[in-house]
Amino acid sequence: MSFLTAQAAFYYLASVSVASALLAVTRKNPIHSMLWVLALFLHVAGIFLLLRAEFLAAVQVIVYAGAILVFYLFVLMLLDLPAETAGPRFGRHWPLAAAAGLGFAALGGLAHIETPDAAPAPEDLGSLADVGTKLFGPFALPFEIASLVLLAAIVGAVVLAKRRAVES
Amino acid sequence: MDVVLALSAVLFGIGVFGFLARRNILLMLVSVEIMLNAVNLSLVGFSQHHGDSRGQVLALFVIAVAAAEAGVGLGLIIALNRNKPGAHVADLIQLKG
Repeated sequence: MSFLTAQAAFYYLASVSVASALLAVTRKNPIHSMLWVLALFLHVAGIFLLLRAEFLAAVQVIVYAGAILVFYLFVLMLLDLPAETAGPRFGRHWPLAAAAGLGFAALGGLAHIETPDAAPAPEDLGSLADVGTKLFGPFALPFEIASLVLLAAIVGAVVLAKRRAVES
Repeated sequence: MDVVLALSAVLFGIGVFGFLARRNILLMLVSVEIMLNAVNLSLVGFSQHHGDSRGQVLALFVIAVAAAEAGVGLGLIIALNRNKPGAHVADLIQLKG
């Protein structure tokens, strides 16, 4: 892909990401919000591809867009919130929240990196073989700890979901 | 690279706004996901900038923690919903449901 095409693709993906994130936090209907977040995740996956993180882009689509977001949508539909679209969508303090959000977003104006590229990027940066070697080499211990975190989450979710059944 | 960091900061700001302003507890959790995604974006940007894939491995761990957080958070919401229907955080003011 030529440099110009990559640039154009990046700016398209970035502007759509920002737009869908904004729509996601401002739509009244929660289902619409979730679908906009889905659009956001897919476009972020595209940016990952442009940044040569192929494996991460696949994981983003499969785990984030495919599993986590569907999980959220599932719970949202399970709870069935008909009153949700009637009330105000923001709390009364929303100008303060907007100020906090703008403050963080303004940090983007300061984003500037002085250091040049440390080393020419290896040819296979971000490939499955590269990430896998890192994951099972220097990152083996954090990898195992991640499995422990997920195990704790599974046990926690089961305990939370079963609590009422035990009491009654 | 600067553009990626700027985009990441903007997305993070939108996530902060969503988390603080929305009253629906599910949408607050989703705003947290938006923030985590913004952080992933800057991690991948740094990884590309330095030609080092360790940033991508770190982003993978962030995704794993986000999955765990979603599981526990949604479990909590379902447990809360059994006691007190609705998803407004303003209604959830008692520790004992």
